[in-house]
Amino acid sequence: MFRNTREGLALVLPAAIFSTLLFLVPVGILLSEAFRPSGSWSLAGYAEFFSEPLNRTVFLRTLKLGLLVAGTAAVIGYAAAFCIVNLGPKSRGRVFGMVVLPLMISPVARTYAWIVILGRTGIVNGAITGLGLSDTPVRLLFTETAVFLGLLQLFLPLMIISLVSAMENIPRDVIPAARVLGASWLAVFFKVILPLTREGLVIGGTLVFTGALTAYITPAILGGSKVLMLETLLYQKVNVSNDFVSASVIAMILIVMSFSANLLLKRIATARS
Amino acid sequence: MKLSLSLLALSCAMGGTAMAADRTLTISVYSFAQDEYKKALYDPFEEICGCDIVVETGNSVERMAKIEANAANPVIDMAVISTQDALSLARKGLIAPLDAASLPNMAKLYDSAKDPNGDGMSVGYTYYASSIVYRSDLVQVDSWGDLLGPDLAGQVALPNITGTQGPLTLMMLGKAMGETGGLAPVISAVGEKADDIVTFYSRSSELVQLMNQQEVIAAPVGRFAWSSFADAPLPFAWAEPAEGQAGGMNVMVMTKGNGNEELAYQFMDYWLSTEVQTRIAEMLVDSPANKEVVVSDEIAANLTYGADVINALNILPAADVVDNREAWVEQWNTEVIR
Repeated sequence: MFRNTREGLALVLPAAIFSTLLFLVPVGILLSEAFRPSGSWSLAGYAEFFSEPLNRTVFLRTLKLGLLVAGTAAVIGYAAAFCIVNLGPKSRGRVFGMVVLPLMISPVARTYAWIVILGRTGIVNGAITGLGLSDTPVRLLFTETAVFLGLLQLFLPLMIISLVSAMENIPRDVIPAARVLGASWLAVFFKVILPLTREGLVIGGTLVFTGALTAYITPAILGGSKVLMLETLLYQKVNVSNDFVSASVIAMILIVMSFSANLLLKRIATARS
Repeated sequence: MKLSLSLLALSCAMGGTAMAADRTLTISVYSFAQDEYKKALYDPFEEICGCDIVVETGNSVERMAKIEANAANPVIDMAVISTQDALSLARKGLIAPLDAASLPNMAKLYDSAKDPNGDGMSVGYTYYASSIVYRSDLVQVDSWGDLLGPDLAGQVALPNITGTQGPLTLMMLGKAMGETGGLAPVISAVGEKADDIVTFYSRSSELVQLMNQQEVIAAPVGRFAWSSFADAPLPFAWAEPAEGQAGGMNVMVMTKGNGNEELAYQFMDYWLSTEVQTRIAEMLVDSPANKEVVVSDEIAANLTYGADVINALNILPAADVVDNREAWVEQWNTEVIR
């Protein structure tokens, strides 16, 4: 495309300078704090972070919820995407629009909606007490379940969008062909759909998992200080205890978790293809 | 009023201390009620001193960090913070001792505000009481101990230990439990009841929201947040617990070596004056530390006002908090948050 590499480099230079100066350098400086808590380079900041039971709990909870949200989103996402690609063009556009719509609403508004639903005076508790299942409202807010639901609702559209684009690329005839040849729906899914949509699953999985790891508003509103996640813990370290070493450690952990998730999923995707 | 201001301005000018129009005073304050402060304090002072006031706001941690980061060449001249934060700054050598002679209005303060930390490094400008706000139609709260009682189980929020209100609440819970061995046993007691506590809030605005959504029906909070509850449609009441109210104070400090001491003293003294303290009290922003301030009964009812109320406050010494906070937070994280 370019006559020589110099032209290409010249074009990429402004963006490279911009992101190096305004992103990589400050982030690098910030993250390096975690490796030199007492002036000299060491891993003591990490050792100290993981020596505290609360930090370990929060780390494992974040990992667990991230995996659960990504896994559940994949299951629901496949079902939804399969339905969407099999709709007629008119209704497909309409349903796809409905999937995308929540992404245009602020996460704060979307999360507050859950308070209306899960609160003591909310819809769910209204139904529970109305049906006589419990005399007193059940505690749903400030639990892991609430955070899980909030995160799932927040990131499910990303999974569906990724899977829909992947499924649209499956040749029309392969699924009927597999069925005609006697494959059960389960076999069709694992032997035909899954291998052909791996790329979409990797993209969707990475987006949902890293999104769930790094979301702040949803765990803050629905989990509060009783269901701390790494992000809400990071906020506390910076804004409440002014502990930038721990905050940098958490930021580094989050970055490593996101990159590992992406690498792992990519590896799975290319494993047999 | 206008006349007295212009006279003051004139006297400043004649004294040769003011008038350089490029003089600026940089102050670091809590971010709430800035419109009111501007009207009651900043604008009139700018007129008097012929100077500009630069206002920096933010949460306490950010503001403290900024003072620390610029220790060699202070950008902030004076700051208003909690007694604990003032003590931390004093121990780090970041603030200067206050010269009582430069603050004539200090004589008008309640005794406990004159030198709250006993180190001559700060002066109190406002008191606040802390008690329990509750839904009077659903429950009656007569003691701090009620917070952990069966009536409020599953419907109560407590302040997180990392804020100012947390240790105050634990102190009062300890008093209700007859505990005299510090806060450690009280933290354990809260830990045993952790499942009955809906959440641990960090900011009073968070609590206002929780109570309006009816997620919780009682929680300890500082009086400064009361106006948000008083205006709400739900019937909220302010408890008068048997153990009394907890309380605290916010103070003014002078950063060390800022080179702008004269103007900063002038500003601090103006803030402590009866005139300004009355104006700010009448706006229901801060309760006065100046004992000469007189307000109507209606205003007084919404403030932490009067010698009787102030002298009865249970105040947790700042040194207790600064010395023990780390241990408290660690125990809290292990036994309560888990």
